[in-house]
Amino acid sequence: MAPRPGSRSAFAHPAARYGVALACLCALAVGAWKSLRIETDFGAFLPRSSTLEHRLLISQLREGVVSRLMLIALDGADEQRLAQSSRDLVERLNRAPDFDYAGNGSPERFLEQGEVLMRNRYALSPAVTPDRFTPSALRGALEEQLAQLASPMGMLARRVMARDPTGEFLAVLRELDSGGGPGLRQGVWFSADGRRAFILAQTRAAGFDSAGQAQAMETVRGLAAQAAPGVTLSLTGPGVFAAEARRLIERDARLLSLCSGGFILALMVFAYRSPLAVLVIALPVAFGLLLGMLLVQAVFGSVHALTVAFAATLLGEAVDYPNYLLLNAAHGEPLRAAALRIGRTLALAVLTTVASALALALSGFQGLAQLGVLTMSGILAAGLATRWLLPWLLRVAPAVPRHHVPSLTPTPMLKWASAAVLAALAAAAAWTAAAGSGPWEEDLAALSPVPPGLRELDARLRADMGAAEAGVFMASAGASAEAALVEAERIRPLLERWKADRRISGYDSPSSLLPARDTQMRRLAALPEPAALEAELRGALRGLPFRPDAFAPFVRDVAMARGQAPVSRASYDGTPFGAKLRAQVIELDGQWLAVTTLSGVADAAQLAQAAQREAGSASSLIDLKRISTRMVDGYRDDALRQTGLGALIILALLAAGLRSPARALRVAAPAAAGLAATAALLVLAGVKLSVFHLVALLLVLGVGLNYALFFERPPQDEEERRRSRLSLAVCALSTIATFGFMSLSSTPVLHALGATVALGALLCLAFSALWSPSALSIGHPWAA
Amino acid sequence: MRGWWWMAAALLPWMACGPAQAQAWDVDRLMQQLAGIPDGQVSYTERKYSALLSNPVVSSGVLAFHRPDSVEKEMRTPKKERYAIAGDEVVVTRNGGERRFALSSQPALAALAASLRGVLLGDQALLRRYFKVELQGDERAWRLMLEPLDASVARYVTRVSVTGSAGRLQSIDTEEASGDHSLLQVQ
Repeated sequence: MAPRPGSRSAFAHPAARYGVALACLCALAVGAWKSLRIETDFGAFLPRSSTLEHRLLISQLREGVVSRLMLIALDGADEQRLAQSSRDLVERLNRAPDFDYAGNGSPERFLEQGEVLMRNRYALSPAVTPDRFTPSALRGALEEQLAQLASPMGMLARRVMARDPTGEFLAVLRELDSGGGPGLRQGVWFSADGRRAFILAQTRAAGFDSAGQAQAMETVRGLAAQAAPGVTLSLTGPGVFAAEARRLIERDARLLSLCSGGFILALMVFAYRSPLAVLVIALPVAFGLLLGMLLVQAVFGSVHALTVAFAATLLGEAVDYPNYLLLNAAHGEPLRAAALRIGRTLALAVLTTVASALALALSGFQGLAQLGVLTMSGILAAGLATRWLLPWLLRVAPAVPRHHVPSLTPTPMLKWASAAVLAALAAAAAWTAAAGSGPWEEDLAALSPVPPGLRELDARLRADMGAAEAGVFMASAGASAEAALVEAERIRPLLERWKADRRISGYDSPSSLLPARDTQMRRLAALPEPAALEAELRGALRGLPFRPDAFAPFVRDVAMARGQAPVSRASYDGTPFGAKLRAQVIELDGQWLAVTTLSGVADAAQLAQAAQREAGSASSLIDLKRISTRMVDGYRDDALRQTGLGALIILALLAAGLRSPARALRVAAPAAAGLAATAALLVLAGVKLSVFHLVALLLVLGVGLNYALFFERPPQDEEERRRSRLSLAVCALSTIATFGFMSLSSTPVLHALGATVALGALLCLAFSALWSPSALSIGHPWAA
Repeated sequence: MRGWWWMAAALLPWMACGPAQAQAWDVDRLMQQLAGIPDGQVSYTERKYSALLSNPVVSSGVLAFHRPDSVEKEMRTPKKERYAIAGDEVVVTRNGGERRFALSSQPALAALAASLRGVLLGDQALLRRYFKVELQGDERAWRLMLEPLDASVARYVTRVSVTGSAGRLQSIDTEEASGDHSLLQVQ
């Protein structure tokens, strides 16, 4: 090809220019490959929060005991086989590095792990008082032990009898038993009907660490295959949810990206019938995606796996710009001239989309903020590449085959009719929302990407296991861990009374394992000196058939306990109790919290009041469900505010860019109408609007404005009008297809986004065509 | 040649008795005999021997059994205590209170209950579910050795040996892993 006039540089040959562009792209791709750190912690999708209560909620969701518990159910074999499998699997899980501990309710296991409790029983047992060691009390204890020995049940007590005739170990175990829990069969947890054996395991990975959780699930499945071949395994729990949700979202996103990518490719090939044109169209999109990812990495330090999955949404929008340019240029027209001609419209389309994503970027949900930054930077990059890179690469517009796009001439009648339909829709939606419980989704669970099937399984297993959902707990605050534990201890008499009245079914206080220091010192001080104890013991043994030295280990243990330091968190290092305490006694912003989990709370509000009366403000009742609902509300309000701000910026941009408030309104009206109609249809269809729908509506706004802008630019002649129609048809088809595919996803979030944007794009297109003065028709009905 | 004589002498009684007996003496036969005893009750005395005790603790009471599956051990001296096993449940009445356990929640107790029920009611299947069963002696003086199959039982009970004569139960000796044992003798 001969050098064209005006191309003085070394890039005169097109191959050189494409080479440079592709080399840049490769460099970016390699940069992305090297630097991108993919984050899989679902916590990124939790909001950042300002109040202590909210941060507590999030820390509990992230790190708390509850979020790390994996419930493992075994069924599909007879009771004996299931019990054996349960024992084998627990044995193996306790040796696996992915788990802090695993339990199946077996008292055996508890006794084995309980050595630390045995060692510290005199500091931990609430029964230790000076009265416990008087001659008469000792006599009573010894007589009881004698009766135990003679009874068939005595075998169990016999193990520790010589060391612990006063039964402190048993008292500690009773103290730690929070009540509730499933029944035992064959010595392990079983459902009431005996068909299902249960294991509870605490993962080392946090609940939201979906990759770590997936790894832990793999471990369980692998070990179960060895320990319990042929037994059906079901796993559930917050971590399992996170891992499953991620797997499904990634699978869906991959599949849907492939489908929509394939469709767009086919559409481009059909529209242009030229591989070169298709390649040129792909370039701005690829630049946008790569630059966007790199920027997200730079801003947030990592890119969330879900952000990558959502990147497909960018595809649908970014591809519009090069399409618009190529299809608007006349055959043989210098592309630079065409770019100049549509430059202002293109710039406005890009900037308004960027402004609509601003609300996302400002979101308190880090995951959404990432998506916002990705969209803003990606769209900007794709727009710049369309405006400057494409004309430099291609020089002249390629020939585009003639496609017939049906035209529509909106009559004023049709315009007014559509406005009336919109008004009716909006009124009906408002009525529906007002009559029902409001248009908003209040339940955090409904926002969860966890498929409903898995949630049902979880509910069934929990009901079977008799485990209440741990949604309510008591948080006791203090300046130090010790101070928090003192408060946690102070609340116990109240909880004990409520338990006795069956107004709660049980509670699990960290102060059982870590009584306040003073309490421990008081107990240890109640222990008699060795000589005194020996004398009293001799007296108590008189007339009983015990050997005189039978309880020497008891005297030794008591003497040792007197010199012992109080139990601290460090005492439990390396035991399952250590892991439990780490989750129950936590530091939040320099303040310490001791978390007492409650189950079966009949009346949370009344308990909160009683706690306030009894223990002051140091302990407060936390109802996760209530807080999370409030938090969702808060974030929705934020999102609404940010959306409003985005809308104002968009209007200002339009007014400035179009140099006329009237034109700005004319462009904004169809997009706003499309948006309102979409929201109204969703509400009428009974969909509860969530943060994700707001995000989708923002995307609709961006897309709708693009259409309205493209429609608004007055065409010069019939030929240009025809090209405009084609470009709009191609852009709308690619957007609707991308999001239409996404709406097929089984994941609630992806489905909500896809369906909303596809519907919105269609409606925006319709309103633009009906209300805009120019592109599709020859006359100017609006002006008429 | 002398050796042959010895062998013949040893084998002779066996060869002589074998065909003469209507049925071979084995576990099946013993369990049939035990199963044939009608429901009722027997008095017992139990001696508990322990490393903690200078003298064994002696207790006594009544063992009652009713088919299909209920056995009650009622201690009358030195104090009143009652253990009633029926189905999967054991009801313990002592110190004026009553407590209920599911046998299946405590494998060692379940095994202990099975030894008692299996022997008193003649339930061989129940015995074999928990124990390796071995019969020694002859019909006049037999000894049934029960060794736990499961490790979680063996942690507490190492062996139960039951003696008797024909269909009459004489003693149950329970050996514990701690070295203690308790000898229950039926009067």
